[in-house]
Amino acid sequence: MSDAVHEFTLDALEWQPYVKPVDLQTATPEQLDALKVTPSNTKVSAYVLVLAQETEMLAERSPLFNDIMYSDGGLSRGGRELGALAASFVNHCIYCAQVHANRFIQLEKRREVVEEIYQNGLDADLGEYDQALFNFGVDLTAHPDNVGVYQFYHLRETGLSDLEILDLIHSVAIFGWANRLMHTLGEPHRKD
Amino acid sequence: MTTETTVDVIDKVLGLGPSSPLLALREQRAKLKHLTQTSYVAALHPTDPRNFSYAERATLAARMAALWTSQELLAHYRELATAEGATGDVLSIADPAWKPEDEASRLTVILRHIDLVTKNPKAATRENIEKLYAAGLDDRDIVTLAGIIAFVNYQVLVVAGLKMLRDN
Repeated sequence: MSDAVHEFTLDALEWQPYVKPVDLQTATPEQLDALKVTPSNTKVSAYVLVLAQETEMLAERSPLFNDIMYSDGGLSRGGRELGALAASFVNHCIYCAQVHANRFIQLEKRREVVEEIYQNGLDADLGEYDQALFNFGVDLTAHPDNVGVYQFYHLRETGLSDLEILDLIHSVAIFGWANRLMHTLGEPHRKD
Repeated sequence: MTTETTVDVIDKVLGLGPSSPLLALREQRAKLKHLTQTSYVAALHPTDPRNFSYAERATLAARMAALWTSQELLAHYRELATAEGATGDVLSIADPAWKPEDEASRLTVILRHIDLVTKNPKAATRENIEKLYAAGLDDRDIVTLAGIIAFVNYQVLVVAGLKMLRDN
């Protein structure tokens, strides 16, 4: 296995935990339920198996995450991925950034946006709409105690509805959550 | 049970009454709102609190709210901590300036981890997890602690964002 990766990359990564994951063979019925393990779906990532140590939280967290990132209407899927990416860059979650940068590219077919962020990080120079979303995500993640009103008005000026702003807030916030698990409980390695 | 499960904590701390436009907006994402509340219960008042008492969880949450000067959540968690029976040193946890006397104690190590992962998560490394094991935490304790930290930080961000929507 290759060394741990400490720099942002778009290459395929594998997350390896510092904490012991739950063993599917000896998992309790509650753990299997929270893991959504069914006879037809037995593929569970090491990350989710670690979180299964705390079943009650995982059982709420998985559907919450999915609703925030994939619900119908409101902010576009790509916009939510940009919120996730902004948070992951501030919190330096290499694995989260890789996954959601690639998802943004897949959805939006605008690789240049991700390339600019990977090149210049928090100082990325983007088109007006992407810039408004990205800057708000960076600001809310880095100092929720002092979010710039200017960043907020920028969202409004760009034409985002209240529902779209609400969706952006949640996509950034859920990565304030995800980054603090993924970046602290394990580390990514390059896939061989 | 002292953690009210029927009152939405975020509506409560933001003072969103029945006629609030922000409440109506939040209701457009009813599933998300509900799961945010059930996640709160899972983090602060789970069925089996195991090695983190309800009082300890509430004071740890108060400390994180204080670290981000989230006054609304700090007031909520201080109140919750008292309701969960926190007294003395446990109540002191809520003050980020407070340090336990024993530098090597479980609580000291937990508080250092909380402060780091709340304010500067990018600086966390494998070594920080090793310190938790060395202080006597087991696998599940470490995931429990990480989950509490992650949830409260999510909540702080949601409240901060919603305040912008409420006030601008």
